[in-house]
Formats: sequence, C-alpha cells, structure tokens
Amino acid sequence: MKKILLFFMACSLLMASDLDMNAAINASYGNSYDFYTFSENRLDMNFFYNDLQGWIQYEYSNPPDVGFPLNDIRKFRVEYMAENFLFKLGDIYEFWGRGLLLNQFDDQVTNFDNGTRGLYLEYNRGPLSLSHINGNSNMWGMGADLRVPFFNNIHSMTANRLHYDWNSLSFGLTHLQSNEEHDKMSGPSAKVNHKLKGIYGSWLAGNADLFVEYVDKVSTEKISLFGTIPNDSLKTGHGIYGNLNLYLGNWGLSTEYKRYAFDAAHGDLTANDYGNQIEYQQTPTLGKEHNSTLLGRLTHNYNFNDERGVQVELNGSLLGLSVSAQYAHLSRNENWQSVTSYDWEERAFDSYLPSSDNSALPYWENYQEISGYTLNDRLYFKLGRGTNKEILKTTRYLHDGTQMDRSINAFWAYDTTDTVLFGTEYQIIDSAEVFDTSFSDPYNVESKLWQQSKAFTIPMEVNYIFDNGYTFGIGFQYQERKKVNKSMGNSTGYSAGDSAWTMFNPDDYSETYNTTTTQLSNSDGSVDTQYNRLIYVSISKAPKWSFTITHDWTNAYDASTPIDPYYNPLEALIYGDLKYFTGDRDNIDPPSFIQNRWVSFELAYNVTSSQRLSVMYGSIQGGLFCSNGICRLIPPFNDGLKISYSASF
Amino acid sequence: MNTLRLAFLYGVFFSRILSAENTELGSTIPDLKIKLLDGSTTTIHTLVEEGPLMIDFWATWCVPCKKVMKYLDQYHHDYEEQGFKVLMINQDTPRSLSKVKSYVRAQDYQFFVGLDPNKTIARKLNGMVMPTLILVDKGGKVKWRHQGFIPGEEVEINNQIKLLLE
Repeated sequence: MKKILLFFMACSLLMASDLDMNAAINASYGNSYDFYTFSENRLDMNFFYNDLQGWIQYEYSNPPDVGFPLNDIRKFRVEYMAENFLFKLGDIYEFWGRGLLLNQFDDQVTNFDNGTRGLYLEYNRGPLSLSHINGNSNMWGMGADLRVPFFNNIHSMTANRLHYDWNSLSFGLTHLQSNEEHDKMSGPSAKVNHKLKGIYGSWLAGNADLFVEYVDKVSTEKISLFGTIPNDSLKTGHGIYGNLNLYLGNWGLSTEYKRYAFDAAHGDLTANDYGNQIEYQQTPTLGKEHNSTLLGRLTHNYNFNDERGVQVELNGSLLGLSVSAQYAHLSRNENWQSVTSYDWEERAFDSYLPSSDNSALPYWENYQEISGYTLNDRLYFKLGRGTNKEILKTTRYLHDGTQMDRSINAFWAYDTTDTVLFGTEYQIIDSAEVFDTSFSDPYNVESKLWQQSKAFTIPMEVNYIFDNGYTFGIGFQYQERKKVNKSMGNSTGYSAGDSAWTMFNPDDYSETYNTTTTQLSNSDGSVDTQYNRLIYVSISKAPKWSFTITHDWTNAYDASTPIDPYYNPLEALIYGDLKYFTGDRDNIDPPSFIQNRWVSFELAYNVTSSQRLSVMYGSIQGGLFCSNGICRLIPPFNDGLKISYSASF
Repeated sequence: MNTLRLAFLYGVFFSRILSAENTELGSTIPDLKIKLLDGSTTTIHTLVEEGPLMIDFWATWCVPCKKVMKYLDQYHHDYEEQGFKVLMINQDTPRSLSKVKSYVRAQDYQFFVGLDPNKTIARKLNGMVMPTLILVDKGGKVKWRHQGFIPGEEVEINNQIKLLLE
C-alpha cells in the first residue's frame, strides 16, 4: 500500500503539470559526551490536484531524539472534497468541541501521537455537518527510559459527530467508542471498552462569548474469554468545561471552569490504572502555557481524571503596552482525611469551586506580564512575575479527629527461680489482662504530613535594534523555589499495633508540633531554597543570522546531585579560565566554579528566507519539558553538538 | 531498500526545486477552508480575490510571533487600499484557545485571525514552525516564504509586500 502510494505521488509529481505541491524538510543531528546521540530526518510533502489532496511524511531516524528508529513512510493521508462530502483516508487528526471527547494531534517533540489510521467521512448541508471516523490507533507511553517508549495501547475506534450552526449559536453531539488493548506494567494486556457521549454548545456575541462542553464516559473490561459472562463495569465518569469571555474596549477577560471526574476510584496514575481518561481526550488544563524556561519547568502535573479548577486571565493595553494578568486555582474533586495510616475517607465539597484544603492537593498560580515596544519601536521589552504553590502529596492528613484512651491492667506472675536463661528478666509463668471499661474523655487529634513546593519567578527580556540592522538582546530569568515536607498536629502518626494515633506528648495532649523539612539538596547537604538563574545574550543581524549564548545555573536539586562529566572550552571561555587553554586544567575533574551550570551557544543562519540552519554546542539541563500541554522528562545533554536544518518550499 | 526510497524522494524533491523558476516554486496555494475568530468561515482563495495575502502562523505563547504581529497589523492597515490582507492562523490548542480572542482584542489588531487548533492547515501549508510567513499574490501564487523572526526582519517583510504590490 505504502509503495503504491509513494509511486503514485512521485510519478504524479514528475508528470502532472497542474499538480501543486509544497514540501518541508526537518533534519536534526545530536551527539553528546554521555552518548546522547540522535539523527532525525523528516520529509513532508503535500500534493493538491483539483479536489484531491495528499500528504506523505517520510522519516529516517536512527535513533530519533525520542521514540523508535524508523526508516519508512511515517504518515500519509489522501483527501477528496466533493460538493457536500469530505473524504479522508490515512492518518486522521480531528478536534471536536474543546477536546473533552476527541482532540487528536501528533507532537513529535514529546512523542505524543493519538491519531487514527483509518477513514473520515463528513457530510455538510447548510448549517448541518455530520462526521464519522473509523480506524485504529497505536499509542505509546514512556516507561523508565526517558527516550524509548515502553507502554503500548492499541485502540480500535469509531467516532461520530453532529454539528449545527444557527446564527451566533453552535451545537454539537458527539460519540466515541473504542476497544482498547491496554498495556499494563506486567502480565497480559487488559481488554477495555470505552463509550463516550458528549454535547457542546457555543454562543458568540460582540462583547462576550460562551462555550460549554459535557462528556459522559463508561468503560467495561472483558474478563472472560467466553461470551457468556457479561463484561465487568470498570469505571464511570464525566467531564465539564466552560469558558466565558468578556470584552470591553481594549480589554478582554477570559474565564474558564473545569471539573473532570473520569475516575472516581482514584487510581495510582500508572499503566495499571486504566479505564479512565483515554488518550483521545486531550482537555483544557486551565494552566498558563509559559514561554519562560524556568516557569515551564514548574508545570503542574495535571490530573485529567480527578481535578477541578478555575482560571481567569485579563489581557489589555495600557499606554501602548501589552498587559496580562492570570490566576488559576485547581484541586482534586474531594477533600480527604486519614482514618488510619492506610485508610482514607473522602469528603465532598460544599461548592463547585476548587478546594484550598491540603488534602485535595490544591495548586495555585498567578502570572503578570507587561511587554511592548518603545523608543520608536527600537526597544522591545518583556517583564513578568509568576508565583506557584502546589501541594504535591499528603502522607497523612487527620485534622479533626477524636479518640479516647482506655487503660489496661496487666497482672503477671514470674518464675524468679529461673535465672540461668533469663538473668534478671524472669520468665513469665502466668499472666492476665483486665481491660478498664471506663474510657477517658474524647480528645482532639490532629496529624498532618504533606509535601509542598512554592516558587517565585521573574522572567525579563530586552532587545534593541540598531540603525545598521544589528539587534542586541539580553534575557534574564530568576527563580526562588522551596520544596518541603511539612508536618503538624498533636499526633506523630498512626500506630497499627495500638490501633490508635500516637500522641506527640503522652502527658499533655494539647502540646503540638509544627516542623518543616527541606527536600532540596546539593553535594554539601540540605538546602532551604533553590535559586535558579538563566541568562541569555543574543546578537543578530536581520535577516541572516543570530547568535545566542545561554547560561543556566542552579544551587540545589530535588534528587541526587548530577556530576558534570567534562569541562569544555566554551565553559572555560565564559569563565575566563586561562589554565584550561594553557593545558594546566584537568578536564575530567572540573573546577568547582563550573559545577551546577550549563552553558551553551546557538548560531542560527537563514540560508535563504525559507531555509534555516542551526548549530548548538554546550550543555542543557534536563528536566520537565512541556509542549502542547504534554510534558515529558528530558535527560540532560552534556557537552554535545546539535545541528538542525529546516526548509519549506 | 529504504535508503534508496529515501534517496529517491529527496531526489524528486530537489529536482522539483531546481527545475522551478524560483526557489518559492510559484505553486498555487490550495483553497483551504478556514474558520475565523469571529465565528465565520472563509477560504484562502476568497481572501486573495482582491489582492495579495500574507499568511502567518502563531500562538499566544510564541514570543517571536507576538513581536512580528505588531508589524503585520501595521502592514495590513497600510496597504489595505491596495487589497492587501494579513491572515494570522492561530495554533493554540484547547489548553490556551480561550485566550486567543482576548489577546487579539486587547491589542486591537485588525487583521484576519484563523483558528487551526489541531494544525490541519499548518500541516498542509508547512507552517509547523512558528512564525512561518507565506506571501501569496492576487492570483494565489506563493511568492515568498519565511521561517522565524529576528528583530529587524520587519524591513524585509515590508520590502517583499511592496515588491508584490508594485
């Protein structure tokens, strides 16, 4: 099939005079000191011939930055448009409503691809549109390896949509059914059926617009090889999303609300937790999509199965400058209280809004930014301020518990004659326990232990354009971050042996404690505050080239301190270390002033207006990287070279 | 075999480029349907009926995109009488889609804003790199393409538009 398609397209390209086409090449190569090697080449070609359109993507990657090596056609699609019909065959990517039921995309940076290989049929008649998708999806998730996917979920899906536009109103009814073979952490894969039904509506007016979507989901698991036993009902859930925007003059206020409850069972967020939100459902997160490196590393780990929240963002213009202010508050759908050390009970909220109670793992973020041009459009500046606070986990959380003491009277008879084996600790020859049935008065018990992180970030950037076409730019990002374990209360924990909460002071139950322990450290030990600083300086000459040096520095880590494996000439140059160039420096044992720093430069050169070549040398700190709302942990890139070329025609 | 196939594809690709009269190929832009921010729908060929069109791909979180938008809105206004238009195709996903209109209204931008949340149009016009500028003449022929934005490039963009309008 692929060969036929390739042959057809290549021949058509050479022979057809009225065939239009465009193409793009993206090639990148990387190699680093610690064997982080990749080579990716992708060629995208689009063909247009009257009502027929074709797309083919060829990839030669061995290995890619993330994913599996490939030397073949990766994606293809043929589309045909008739008067009222649209027909697509191949790799389908559709987006309905705001994605609570279906939002398909291919993000090669994070190796996320939830497209369907199959067919798509759409019928349009006036304001009415009917859509149908049928096909298979092969989705991969990351395991322990940060570059090679491990978990494979295979879906056989069908989806339908009815969409109707009526003046400024739009309505849609959606349906999706999928039979999934779900890869678990071990053992045979689970066979799960997902049924989703959704409805959405929108209203557009001059100074306001509104969008609401609701999706209901039921999943069942096939547990028997024989058809006589009904499938198990696995999980049920729903999701709601609303967005109201208001506009007044040059000001716009965007408000959003979400409540995703696709998994009331509150699973463990591993591959063994299935039957809840599936990969087709890529929903709004209600978090800010940052373009600052340091703020991007703080991205909240969104829970698409059990999370609600609100987000408000104000955008406007003031004195010709662009102003933006954002606030978001998210939490789980219930508060939780420890009954014992392993048993928790949920407590529903009184309102539809997110909770601030630590047991609901709340997350807050707010960000303000001002940016714009000044000095006759020669100076561009951007200044931001962001704060984040997140409760990462709760180990125990009892805040309004009560318990009573009971006394135990014990009577023991000892054999004081046997001193050979027992010494002065005599052998017990008889015992009797008598429980005092009169309990003490009930008293309050509080015992909390949770982990939280809090950060404050300032990103800023300035560019100045000179008369001769050169531009000088400097950017600086500063971040203070704390990550601590906090514990408080009058009980230090639950004793399974005594079946009771252990009091901090057994003689005075009113005595409480409140401790904070940092979870950050470096090679010298514990560190209270992590300071991150990122500075970049760029010089560019439009429209040909730009050169940027980036310096990233931190003083502490969440986990163990990484070892800088090699001292490179760029670092020596930046720090003016003459010993390096005179041969007096041991490159394998770098000096202390280069530790905890990552230095790199990038030269971008526009070969033509549509061809760009980029060379990067140096080190990049690993960590959380997010794109399109999908996040992945990227490994560090130490002392290496990256070359990339992109062209579009 | 696969290597041969790749070599063949690249060969076809580059032979097509070299045989073209100029590096922009001069191919006709496809008549893609685009949903605009105000809820209406248009097509690229409708937009090029009266004059040239500059297409740019952007997102609210893309800083270089925001830098060039100010100039593109200026050119949209400056050359309006000659039929020139700017179409900004937004690629914000549902994560940030709600803020697009708010941002555009706040800046008082007058150019056309299209929505492409799952990058269908970007894929067909090779606008996956942001910003990507595509200048199309009145007949729908692609005359100039450009990837990225370095401050100062607005002069080159203006020159290309003026060249096409002459």
